[in-house]
Amino acid sequence: MDKKRLIAGVLVFGSLWGFSEVIIGTGLQDVGLPYGAIMTGVFALSFLVLSRMIFRQPGMQVGMGFVAGGLRVFNPFIGCHLCSAIAIMAEAVIFEIIWYNIESDFSDLKTITMQSSMGIITAYLVYICGSVTTQVLTPVVGGTGFYLEDLIVFMPRILASGVLTALLGAITLPVTLQVKKLDLTVKDRLYYPATLGLTILCWVVVIGSSLITS
Amino acid sequence: MGKEKIIPVLAMVLLFIGIVSALYVNATQVDKSTITIQGQEYTFDELLVLGGEKTIKTVDGEVSGVSLEGLMKNIGISCTQCSKYTIKGADGYQKTVDWNILKTGVLTEENRVFFPDTPKELWVRYVVEIEVK
Repeated sequence: MDKKRLIAGVLVFGSLWGFSEVIIGTGLQDVGLPYGAIMTGVFALSFLVLSRMIFRQPGMQVGMGFVAGGLRVFNPFIGCHLCSAIAIMAEAVIFEIIWYNIESDFSDLKTITMQSSMGIITAYLVYICGSVTTQVLTPVVGGTGFYLEDLIVFMPRILASGVLTALLGAITLPVTLQVKKLDLTVKDRLYYPATLGLTILCWVVVIGSSLITS
Repeated sequence: MGKEKIIPVLAMVLLFIGIVSALYVNATQVDKSTITIQGQEYTFDELLVLGGEKTIKTVDGEVSGVSLEGLMKNIGISCTQCSKYTIKGADGYQKTVDWNILKTGVLTEENRVFFPDTPKELWVRYVVEIEVK
């Protein structure tokens, strides 16, 4: 795999993920929808699986998480921006761990049962582990002190909150895998301008919206 | 056991854990309008009289409410500076802070605590108890 092509892929998919977290996530929260579950169970899962499908490069999703998390830091207007950035990065790492043993051609996931099951596992664990990581790291990074008993008492709610995400994942993964049937090859001369343009657009919109609303 | 068996079973197990947790959370949800401090129940108005009103600046703008510093000093805690304070929400969410953080915060009429210059994760909603340790 050409390294330049891969880096461009990391930047564009990470930026799209971060853009959706900031812009779409804000919109979902404003209308009172469970944006955390939707962002992880639909958007994060789609971008992570799509990038794995297109580039077949384990490790790439961690890079995407850092790009998306970096973009999230620029918009502190919903929730805790530090928590969100940490959670996104943790989600990418958890995804890599879960998908470590999945074949790069997705031959393990031929049946709809396997696809939905993998969607449930991925969405649930990514969401739960992201939440737990946030609960641990945010007070440490923020200098407010981490207390294990606070996390233990809150664990049932974290575990419960992952159910909706898991159910969304059960639908999202099979739908995303249908993209394999489409021919989405981009000509080389268009690849870099397209990825660069899309990446810049995501960052400009996110930073611009931050400046406008501040 | 191959992947074709492990993956669906694991998915079912995770869903089961999530659903049981949801039932547990629902069963243990606390529903009350007063706040417990040192074993004593207080309404918001009583806390306001005890602590006095204070306005702080947060990343979300100015917030007014009961001064947690004034409240703890007037409620009869022997050593405010050497105590830890666990702020508990009705939904099971809780956060423990030390005096240096607590004294900067306020409790609003919506029973939510706010602190300036801290991550929002400390802003516990629907506060039902402040435990002093």
